[in-house]
Amino acid sequence: MRPTKRFSRGSSARGRAALAGVLAGLLALTGCSLLGDDSGGSPRSGTGTAVPHSTASADKAVPYDVTPLLKPAKKYYGVAVPGAPTSMKSVDAYTGMTGKQPNLVEYYAGWGDGFDATGVRNAWAEGALTLMSWEPFDTPVGDIAAGRSDRYIKEYATAVRRLNLPVVIDFADEFNGQWEKWGTDHVTPAQYVAAWRHIHQTFVDAGATNVIWAWSPNIVNPVRNVKLEPYYPGDAYVDWIGLIGYFTTGSDNAFDSVFGLTRDRIRTFTKKPFLLLETAAMAGERRRADIRNLFAGVAADDDMLGFVWFNHKKRADWRLEASPLALKEFKRLAADDRFGFDVRKPS
Amino acid sequence: MTSRPQYYTPEPYDPYADDEPQGGWFNSDGYIPSQPQGYDVPQAYEAPQAYEVPQAYEVPQGYGSPEGYDYDPRTYPYQQPADQPTFALQTVPEAEAEAEAAEPGYHVPATPEVGWDMAASRRRAWVSRAVLLFVLAVQAVLSLRLANSAFQDEALYLSAGHAELQHLLHGTPLPVNYAAYFSGSPQLYPVLAAAVDDRFGLAGARTLSLAFMLGTTALLYSFTRRLFNERAALAGAALFAVVQSTVVMGYFATYDAAAVFLLALATWIVVRTDRAPVAAVLLAAPVAVLAVGVKYASALYLPTIVVLALLTGWPHKGGKAFLRMLLLALGIGALLAAGMYGTDLLAGVRQTTTDRDHGSDGAAFLLQRSAEWGGLMFLTAVGGALSYVRRSRMNESPLAQRLGNPGWRWRALLGLLLCGTALLAPAYQVHLGTVVSLFKHVGFGLLFAAPMAGVGVTRLIGAHFRYPQLGIMLWTATLCLGISQADWRFGVWPDSAKMIQVIDSHVDRTGHYMASTPEVPVYYLREKTSQRQWQGAFAMEYTDRKGRHHVGDAGYRAALRDGAYDLIVLDGLTNPRVDTVVADALKGNAHYRLLADLPFRNSSGTGHYRIWVKTS
Repeated sequence: MRPTKRFSRGSSARGRAALAGVLAGLLALTGCSLLGDDSGGSPRSGTGTAVPHSTASADKAVPYDVTPLLKPAKKYYGVAVPGAPTSMKSVDAYTGMTGKQPNLVEYYAGWGDGFDATGVRNAWAEGALTLMSWEPFDTPVGDIAAGRSDRYIKEYATAVRRLNLPVVIDFADEFNGQWEKWGTDHVTPAQYVAAWRHIHQTFVDAGATNVIWAWSPNIVNPVRNVKLEPYYPGDAYVDWIGLIGYFTTGSDNAFDSVFGLTRDRIRTFTKKPFLLLETAAMAGERRRADIRNLFAGVAADDDMLGFVWFNHKKRADWRLEASPLALKEFKRLAADDRFGFDVRKPS
Repeated sequence: MTSRPQYYTPEPYDPYADDEPQGGWFNSDGYIPSQPQGYDVPQAYEAPQAYEVPQAYEVPQGYGSPEGYDYDPRTYPYQQPADQPTFALQTVPEAEAEAEAAEPGYHVPATPEVGWDMAASRRRAWVSRAVLLFVLAVQAVLSLRLANSAFQDEALYLSAGHAELQHLLHGTPLPVNYAAYFSGSPQLYPVLAAAVDDRFGLAGARTLSLAFMLGTTALLYSFTRRLFNERAALAGAALFAVVQSTVVMGYFATYDAAAVFLLALATWIVVRTDRAPVAAVLLAAPVAVLAVGVKYASALYLPTIVVLALLTGWPHKGGKAFLRMLLLALGIGALLAAGMYGTDLLAGVRQTTTDRDHGSDGAAFLLQRSAEWGGLMFLTAVGGALSYVRRSRMNESPLAQRLGNPGWRWRALLGLLLCGTALLAPAYQVHLGTVVSLFKHVGFGLLFAAPMAGVGVTRLIGAHFRYPQLGIMLWTATLCLGISQADWRFGVWPDSAKMIQVIDSHVDRTGHYMASTPEVPVYYLREKTSQRQWQGAFAMEYTDRKGRHHVGDAGYRAALRDGAYDLIVLDGLTNPRVDTVVADALKGNAHYRLLADLPFRNSSGTGHYRIWVKTS
């Protein structure tokens, strides 16, 4: 009896030793997996404090929802002034001059420039949205469509996303004129549409949903033979139709005479709202009347989101300060409550 | 041959000696002497006088006036003074004769066989309860450290509960007939959880589950203690408290925790009434049936409870134990029949539990998963069961050696029953071919295997805590697996907080929405939306304006072409194939604009919510 017992005890001791080995191994394994190297295919979540959801919530805030800004109840009261929005000094001066704070600040950027996040933040701090007119001076639109600028677009889109404030982008404006490097003499409608869609898709893929896309033809008046529809990327890629048109002395100054034809043509293929993305009236006797027409025309049309006054001295002196009487009229009309609102609190 | 006199040298007490069937039944509640005629005198020993004359129990003879030994039959009624002439300390006759001859002037009091008490005592009870409390605290901490937004099942049950609650209190019509597709009664757990959710939010509803799971562990301790002893009970509870299923179910607002608690309660009643009148077992019937009502799949474990009624009753009642089993089976059967007759739940039972669509998960995969999630504890239980069949003794005390123990057949049956139950769920899921909910069902099985696992751990540690390191290592390994698996499990679904924040302003009472997991927004935005407004990523049917009917992928494409939904939320996880179909249909779709792209990190890597809003 005894020897058997001793034997059985010996075997059970060996069994325990073996078991201890197995358990130690298992412990080491689970211990390793607990301390986990994250390089593996499936990221370990058991890293103590690093519960998966806590790392996710450490991400930046919720993406800015631009939908309330797409068709706000009140009009955009915009301006393009030199230096803004990197410096808001000239905007502030414009505010002082016209008596109303602009809520849309347009600036021009070349293809290849970095994203001016500081400028957008500056404008935002004063309750204004930034509109960036992106102009491909040195890069053929066909190359952009073919993906040769993808790295740049991705970086740009990532920067825009990271900023997480709404930004309006219009790409290659006045494409229907022959006077731009990306105009009708150099770029086919198919190339233009392909480039637009490609840029849009790259932004979407990067999750930059905080961009409002403004497709911006010049008014058709000087280029009546250029059809706009072939240049239209499609409603899925465009939020606003940004019209560029000026009240000039050589033509009829009724609102509809300036913008009507273009508007009617565009309405045949899209119902997206309009923004007068660049407008001004030539200095002179008629300027006051032009300004009245501008305000009245924008106010009358529910589909007209507002306008951006081009306050530059470029080719002509479009600055309001050039004609005090017209400025006075502008100031009077701008006081209308329908124009301007704080973009940070769209109603 | 040696010239030295052949003294009988008492062997050190051997805790692993084979036990002989003895004259009583011992468990943690004390010693129950069996009939004297059943007492079998081992050949090797001289039968002590006191054993043959039961009256001698009342007259402690050999002790005289034991100084320093506080024997008092009133305090320790179960202590058997008649045991005093121990074999271990028996001296050889020569020595005894010498002592008698010398007659020293002092008196050496007879040494008691053991200096400690193996029977239940107040101190032991409190020490055990303190350890149990520690185990429960560990379990609570493990569960409470989990954090994530509501999983789709939690969201579904809670919203259903809110709807049922509104229906009960105010007669508000139900948005959907939940009973038709729930795998548990929508009137039981969901209503309770929703009531808690109303007051305390999701954390409250999850804490309710924690209470259920802590209760389960406590009941497990209690019935294991009665089946075996405190040590096995604590070991079993300690293992059960740290496995993935327990930790996750303890902070998961689904009816699993309630169901497993009710199963534990039914089991506890069955074990607790082992010596009570046969009819007492019927107390378990309503509890067991309620468990099935809460979650239909609990029915899988009812046979175990019924057989347990037989096994636990057998040593005390003999043949009457069969009556006990029959009574319980009939009671449960009658209540189940009444329940099915009285409610309309049968369709739901069929759809979700018995006739559930068979999945495509392979047997090897499912078994591997089951092994990962419960394998270690199951192996411990099997080890415990085998060891228990070989040797029934649960106590180091030499006194225990003489206690009666159930025969090996009974022990084998108990081991088989408890360990076999742990295999039911994996086997059934292999039959269904689905990994859905497997981790929870593994936990249901482990509840029954836990007592045997407790025995396994005590046997691993050995008598007198000879190898505590083995038990500690086993428990630590289970703990590490449990923590990492629970963390993984709780990170499987993305945190929806930001998604909800984004869609909040786009959801109202009138819109139509589509989401990979509609349950989640329906739950979080229940104040402003109802389940009827939401389409999920499964079972799509759409009738377009011209009256044409589209089903499946074509349905999604047609609906999106028509701009039928005001908001679309895809997570890329729930049904990736449909997500691709939907995302493709949204590409270049003039009705929709990408509202947000929300990256998230989950257990299987990274992903992102994509949310589209209808703009025209």
